[in-house]
Amino acid sequence: MNNGENAVPLLAARDLAKTHGRTQALRGASAELRAGEILAVTGASGSGKSTLLHCLAGIVRPDAGSVTYGGERLDRLPEKRLSGLRRGDFGVVFQFGQLIPELTALDNVALPLMLAGSSRGDAQARAGEWLERFGVRGQAGLRPGEMSGGQAQRTSLARALVTGPKVVFADEPTGALDSLASEQVMTALVHTARDSGTAVLLVTHDAQVAAYADREVRLSDGAVVPTGVTA
Amino acid sequence: MMLMSTRHVLLGLLVSGPSHGYDLKRRHDERFPQARPLAYGQVYTTLQRLVRDGLAEVDGTDADGGPERTMYRSTTEGSHELARWAGEIAPPAPFVTNEIFAKVVVSILSGGDPEAYLKAQRAAHMKRMRELTAVKTAKGADLSTLLSADYALNHLDADLRWMTTTAARLTTLTAEVDTA
Amino acid sequence: MRAELRLALLLTRGSNRREWWRVVLTAIGAVMATGIGLVIMVLVPMTGHHDVGVGSGLLDEPGTRGGVIIALMLLLIPVFGFLGQCARIGAVHRDRRLAALRLAGATPAQVRRIAALETGPACLAGSSVTTVFSVLLLLRLWQRPAPWAWAGMAVVAVLVPVLGAAVSVLALRGVVASPLGRLRRVRPTAGPGRAFQVATGLLGLPAVLVAMTPLTGDPFEFGVVGFALGPLTVFALCLLVGASAVWLAGFSSRWLGRVLAARAQRPALLIAAERLYDDPWAASRTHGAVLLVTVVSTGFVGVRQTLLADLEASRRMGQLGMDMSYYTNGIELTAAAILVALAIVLTGLAVGTAESLATRRRGLATQHAAGVPHGVLARALLLETALPLACAVTVAGIGGMAIGVWYASLTTEHTVPDVPYAALLVPLAVYGACMLAAATALPLLRRSVRPAELRYA
Repeated sequence: MNNGENAVPLLAARDLAKTHGRTQALRGASAELRAGEILAVTGASGSGKSTLLHCLAGIVRPDAGSVTYGGERLDRLPEKRLSGLRRGDFGVVFQFGQLIPELTALDNVALPLMLAGSSRGDAQARAGEWLERFGVRGQAGLRPGEMSGGQAQRTSLARALVTGPKVVFADEPTGALDSLASEQVMTALVHTARDSGTAVLLVTHDAQVAAYADREVRLSDGAVVPTGVTA
Repeated sequence: MMLMSTRHVLLGLLVSGPSHGYDLKRRHDERFPQARPLAYGQVYTTLQRLVRDGLAEVDGTDADGGPERTMYRSTTEGSHELARWAGEIAPPAPFVTNEIFAKVVVSILSGGDPEAYLKAQRAAHMKRMRELTAVKTAKGADLSTLLSADYALNHLDADLRWMTTTAARLTTLTAEVDTA
Repeated sequence: MRAELRLALLLTRGSNRREWWRVVLTAIGAVMATGIGLVIMVLVPMTGHHDVGVGSGLLDEPGTRGGVIIALMLLLIPVFGFLGQCARIGAVHRDRRLAALRLAGATPAQVRRIAALETGPACLAGSSVTTVFSVLLLLRLWQRPAPWAWAGMAVVAVLVPVLGAAVSVLALRGVVASPLGRLRRVRPTAGPGRAFQVATGLLGLPAVLVAMTPLTGDPFEFGVVGFALGPLTVFALCLLVGASAVWLAGFSSRWLGRVLAARAQRPALLIAAERLYDDPWAASRTHGAVLLVTVVSTGFVGVRQTLLADLEASRRMGQLGMDMSYYTNGIELTAAAILVALAIVLTGLAVGTAESLATRRRGLATQHAAGVPHGVLARALLLETALPLACAVTVAGIGGMAIGVWYASLTTEHTVPDVPYAALLVPLAVYGACMLAAATALPLLRRSVRPAELRYA
């Protein structure tokens, strides 16, 4: 899990600044994610957690600062490359909304594979295995609206992990769930990430969820709060 | 699980069948993995008190190839007492001793840095929560382990929430403490 | 009422650009509806021969005037469709807003009045502008217009905003009923409502009437009654065709969605097909209007070809009563009217596509953030329009062709019946135009998938 100080970070953000309209979401935030590590980004609402995740995942370009992934400047890559990266190397899980409401759970999970060129049959077969792994095989034929929140989120995890990404970005993945469903989703995420060596960037305001991570970065007013103790 | 109920917990373990002190300690630590492990001395004093109060009695000795051990078993009165205790509601924390709050106030009074203290305390809490979560999510962890880790996690989380809101209100608190 | 007015104003002022689009487009729709309505109202009370400066003599005689009235009434159909489409802009958002008002303690009547005040003024603006200009124009063309014309114009000028407000209130009946509104996305999977079914049934009546014509005699020959009945019958028949087209589009969408979703190999096709299957009625209204225009225009091109050939033959034989241009002008005017209808329908389609995008923009932004390429989302969007239309336009084209061939077979007086093959190009052209109209929403897709949309969780 902890690769120590010597390891080169897989993903690193340096002095990020980002303004949305009149609000400054990030002012000089830096963070790094090592390969296979689970990192929690915590902070109060509006502290810039989600914007930091968006910048690191290449969804949003920062106004200033740099994002480096595998030696490449993510903030300078063209949109097409970024899309490709998000499809292959990255997986994302949000509080809700990443599942297409009209597709069944199985097709939702199969979608990233089909986008990568797999045939529908192959994609569905692999999607089925992933649903099994997250304990929602029985819901394969249901649409997101017909599942419980926990089942939908586990389906989202399956969709994020089905392509074998190097990093999974999870933005309040348990935000809409009760504590038991939240525990099931987090346990499934942590186990799979550990088994496959996937790094996870976990944005949450919930300390119990953050405790699933190896390390914590705390944000306040768009910058990282220096902590006396390091894990 | 707390100290005050050790006698009832031991009595509960005895109800399932006669047992000696060492065995009781082992079973207790297994059943309540996140609780503080019982000391042998404590087990024997508690057993003696149970016998004194007529809730348990000596069942004989058992050598089993090793050193001789005194076996204990529960009495009928013990079973009644156990049933009464198990059904009785626990008082919902009537007097919380809040060491963290005391430290914050003292820190303000003595001109210290309550914010730095809260930050360090928070980090320590988070570290412990990560450890407990790791225990909980370890492959093959049984439900007892999970539930007792959960209990501790929820209490630490409550402390943590309190610390977060307190840290945000330190300025007002400082003004209040200083003028008082 | 003062409070409601103030609230409606506040809500409109604080609303986003989409709300302004709705207001502007609704006003434009009201301009068209009022304009057409006013012309009809001026023409209807005219009796006997008049010398009208416009319309190349078509408005001079009662017979041709009746034809023009029919054509204008038919033009109202796509205009209504367009207005319906405008009412749907921001509907989900508006539903939520009014439900919040109900939660805050507004009575159903208050919410209804606010809803009416949000649409009524837009229609009123459209109708007043048109009425003022029409009156000025009319006074230049016609020194002493008939009193009935004035009355009719007044009725139209008032009726358009009142109807607009009434329709917007009707559309919000679900929200008014419950303060929780329709929390889920509006999803009429069950198909059109009962009102629509009843309307289709009522429209069927004139069809039966026409079918009975050979037995009862020509209904167009009952003097005044016949005069009113004739255009109305044609109007109703066209509405019937449109309503049937809505059903056809809906059912074919569901069927196509199911068949394609099971077999799709490409992600874009899969998404489009599942969306169709899930909500086949979403686009059926616009598609219904497209089909109606396709039937009419395909039929017209066939009829026109036969008619012109026939006229040419008559002219050569010297049997024409009037100048050739008298007839051709009428035909070309009809063609122009059909083109206008097509333009309105296409605008409605573009508005509908844009609206469906705007409603889903958060979901689309999330998809894009999750790595679904822009191209796949764009193709899925186009396929959603292309798939059901392909089926329906084919059927409509065949229908229109049948009209053309039937007409050609009737007019064997001077010419050998000729299959009007040119008409076959019409469905293709309409289909192409529809795809272009749907494609106008693509720039909006690029805006919709901006990550800023992710921020409103």
